[in-house]
Amino acid sequence: MGWITVTIAVPLVAALVLAFAPELEDQGVRIVGLIGSVGAFLASLVLLVQFDVADPNLQLAESFEWIPAVDARVSMAIDGVSLVLILLTTLLTPLILVASWSSITDRLRGYVAAFLVLEAAVIGVFVATDLLLFYIFFEFTLVPMYLIIGIWGGAGRRYAAVKFFLYTLLGGLLMLVAILYLFSQAGTFDYAAIASLDLDPTVQRWLFGAFLVAFAVKVPLFPVHTWLPDAHTEAPTGGSVFLAGVLLKMGTFGLLRYALPIFPDATITFAPWLLGISVVGILYGAVVALMQSDIKKLIAYSSVSHMGFVVLGTFALNTVATSASVVQMINHGLSTGALFLLIGFLYERRHTRRIADFGGLAKQVPVMAGLWLLVSLSSLALPGLNGFVGEFPILLGTFQVNRTAAVLGAFGAVLAALYLLWAYQRMFHGPLEGEANTTTTDLNRREIGVLAPLLVLIVAIGLYPKPLFDVVEPSVDRVLVEVGVLELPVEPAAAVTREEG
Amino acid sequence: MLLAQTTAQPPIDVPDVAWSAFAPELLVTVVALILLLVAIARGRQQLVAAPSALLFLAVGVWLITAGLVFPGAVVVVVGACFPAAVFAFPRRVSMVRAVVASAALGGALALTGWQYVAVLDQGLATITPQPALAGALANDGIAFFTRITVYLSALLVIPLGYAYLNERRINRAEVEPLLLLAAVGMVALATANDLITLFVALEVFSLALYVLSGLARRDRRSQEAGLKYFIMGAVASAILLYGMALLYVATGHLDLPGLGQSLALVTTDRLIAALGLGLVTVGMAFKISLVPFMLWTPDVYQGAPTSVTAFMAAATKAAGFAAVLRLYLVAFPGLQTLWVPVLAVLAAASMLYGAYVALVQRDLKRMLAYSSITHAGYATIGVVAVNDQGLSATLFYLLAYAVSTLGAFGCVVAIERSRHGEVGLIDLRGLGRTSPAVAGILGLSLLSLAGIPPTAGFVGKLLVFRAGLDAGLTWLVVVGVLSTVVAAFFYLRIAGMMFLEEPDPERPIPTQSSGMSLAIAVAAALVVFLGVQPQPVLQFAEAAAALLR
Repeated sequence: MGWITVTIAVPLVAALVLAFAPELEDQGVRIVGLIGSVGAFLASLVLLVQFDVADPNLQLAESFEWIPAVDARVSMAIDGVSLVLILLTTLLTPLILVASWSSITDRLRGYVAAFLVLEAAVIGVFVATDLLLFYIFFEFTLVPMYLIIGIWGGAGRRYAAVKFFLYTLLGGLLMLVAILYLFSQAGTFDYAAIASLDLDPTVQRWLFGAFLVAFAVKVPLFPVHTWLPDAHTEAPTGGSVFLAGVLLKMGTFGLLRYALPIFPDATITFAPWLLGISVVGILYGAVVALMQSDIKKLIAYSSVSHMGFVVLGTFALNTVATSASVVQMINHGLSTGALFLLIGFLYERRHTRRIADFGGLAKQVPVMAGLWLLVSLSSLALPGLNGFVGEFPILLGTFQVNRTAAVLGAFGAVLAALYLLWAYQRMFHGPLEGEANTTTTDLNRREIGVLAPLLVLIVAIGLYPKPLFDVVEPSVDRVLVEVGVLELPVEPAAAVTREEG
Repeated sequence: MLLAQTTAQPPIDVPDVAWSAFAPELLVTVVALILLLVAIARGRQQLVAAPSALLFLAVGVWLITAGLVFPGAVVVVVGACFPAAVFAFPRRVSMVRAVVASAALGGALALTGWQYVAVLDQGLATITPQPALAGALANDGIAFFTRITVYLSALLVIPLGYAYLNERRINRAEVEPLLLLAAVGMVALATANDLITLFVALEVFSLALYVLSGLARRDRRSQEAGLKYFIMGAVASAILLYGMALLYVATGHLDLPGLGQSLALVTTDRLIAALGLGLVTVGMAFKISLVPFMLWTPDVYQGAPTSVTAFMAAATKAAGFAAVLRLYLVAFPGLQTLWVPVLAVLAAASMLYGAYVALVQRDLKRMLAYSSITHAGYATIGVVAVNDQGLSATLFYLLAYAVSTLGAFGCVVAIERSRHGEVGLIDLRGLGRTSPAVAGILGLSLLSLAGIPPTAGFVGKLLVFRAGLDAGLTWLVVVGVLSTVVAAFFYLRIAGMMFLEEPDPERPIPTQSSGMSLAIAVAAALVVFLGVQPQPVLQFAEAAAALLR
């Protein structure tokens, strides 16, 4: 049993403890949840230590027999992309639990257990190297997330939870059909065996389409993004953070890990179309975000826009853009996660999310205003912060293959500055009026503590992104070689030197 | 070789009766008859219990001395249950019946296991099919697997419905005997290897179920259910019989393998054979409730006492599909071009119709009835795949469906007991808070019915979809996927009602009794077990693909 298993098992064990120890008080429940999620974080740090950065292949493989009758195995391994996403997941989960320390009192045990199970399932998605196992983890994330949105969400939570569930289920089931077809061709669910299949181009297009639907719903790509604003707006703070931070990445991760290498011909055929769809998503998300009066909805639409950048970079199919899109996944998780946390803290104080209800808060809550500004700047890709080192190479790499897409995509970055700063201005600047605004309290130590790791990473990645690129690039190059667009793996540091100055 | 044959050399002109081939059925039938005697004896149960126990003891000892140690031991243990139950519950006749019937079903399961070890498992990759009763019964993988599903369902239904039937004052003396006879009829249907046996078995269990559906004499819905099921069932039986007659006219054969060989010949009259096939298809589609022959299902499922509904849903489907599998794969392969498209269309229609109509239902039992139509469609995918994978997929699917639906109906029983009436969607409000255990198990069963991993239902769906894809029926699998999403919507609505709504103080909390809790818990445990570790059962299902042809 290796450390991958441990990373998945620790939160599951903590969830089981919660299920079978009914005498635990609320405080005990919180502590068990924290132990489980911090334990998973520590285990994932061990993975980081054991990981060989220079090796582009899947590493630290573990494999157990599971259902020999259909040749399904519990096989897991990680590459650089999985590793950084696992670290993001295990970092965000304890932060979420601490952030909800006092705001969740109703059915706390279920809340904590749902997050622990969700964390384990998401890590499973990132480590599975057996397509059936991947599908099972992918689909199982729906259940805890459905409960998190549905039980602890806002007024429209039922509708949002059901919409979230059904959208993702439909996409997932189509992928299941495609996976079963691949199984009938390869005789196994093993990733390596399926990736080395030589499929007919027409068949590839259909199967790619099925995978694409599943992942596009998750990302979400325009026009199947409509579940996201509802889910984000109605979910409790922790749910929104996890959704934006990690769950959306399952889609982009899936594209990179499965859709590209298994269907190389279809990838090249569809890449221009996907660049187009991404650009539409970037601009559409940005324009709609501009018009929102609800700050949470605004950030939700900005997610549509930012995730569009990730897909744009993925399908630019060169080392610069594609590895930057992986970095952008992390950046989006950090910045949007931090923004949702801030919105949550503000909502706990004010019980409103209408931008118009706020004004001049910078004088009243300077710490919150300062952090909000920093995170907004990170999200709108200000040079020196993490957003820039993701978005800029994406646009740069895209420019090499499709100038129109890159230029139009750049407008999305401009619009991001507009909607984020405008929202900041309306909420935190101007005259401080109204009793609600003048009595709002600033962030307390626990809340600052929750944000601190994210802020440190936002600045650190922005100033020195090389380690992150070093971990990601070999794995991305491996994928690009499998797609057939890259002949020889390029020097790992080549793409990043530009950003360091 | 069959073990019973080794015990005594039969005279030449007496047909060779391989008792071991239907040992489980024999045990259950005898116990059912004795239970009827117990009912007649009323207060003087010991008058029946003592001689029965002696009889069983004698038979058991004789079997053991004849070298059949395990079956003998099973018979002795079941026999010992009569005096034990009477002694333990001297004043509770219904409890005595329940205990004895459960013991018989447990014994039947044990004998099924023995059959597998002693007869069917020859160390090969597949189960070795054995004919019995001059070819009238086929003891093969389908029979073996269906025995497990049917006896297990019956065994779970007895504790599940015990307190519920008592409270409704309908736990009359005939309940357990009829249940046992229905189970025997179902297994006989699953082993039938000629048309006559098939028809008789069908009638045996149908008649028992007609009576059980109408058990609640003072409940108009139950009366309606019984009568409706009887009339429509009789029409379906008549059509089936007509079809069988036509098949006999066309081929001159009643045994399925012979029928299969003649139907494959070019000299056989295609028109008459096709007519016969069509009528048989109608009759069988009625029993497994495929669209458009499912009209009885919602009314009967809703009206019948809930524990009976649970048994009907779980076991009748398994037995009906077992017969369908054997009929179509053994007798009708020659007419494949005719029935594969028809059954595929019926399957697609069932999946879509069941899912869509279930969407608008308010009554929980009715909703589960429509969902059973959907599941019949899924199981049919395995039939029309016409390959070994499809066969084992259907068998596994039916077992998975049986445990999930038993869990779901079991929770309905728990809610119905406190409600004293129909269970609407609204009655589930806030159940997750007031009764987390019942809500959790119902939620788990629904997840399994919806096919979400890691539950039994997911593995079942995976297998039938795989079989369908391998057979080139991609369109049917895509229809299955679409209907799964629609179905997920109403399963979610139930889950949402339980977990996302606040409880209504007016609504009573579900009543539980130890027997019922045990049955529901076992069903839930099986749902998880079959989902997480399906390999052992899957292996059996794969081995079951060998048919007696």
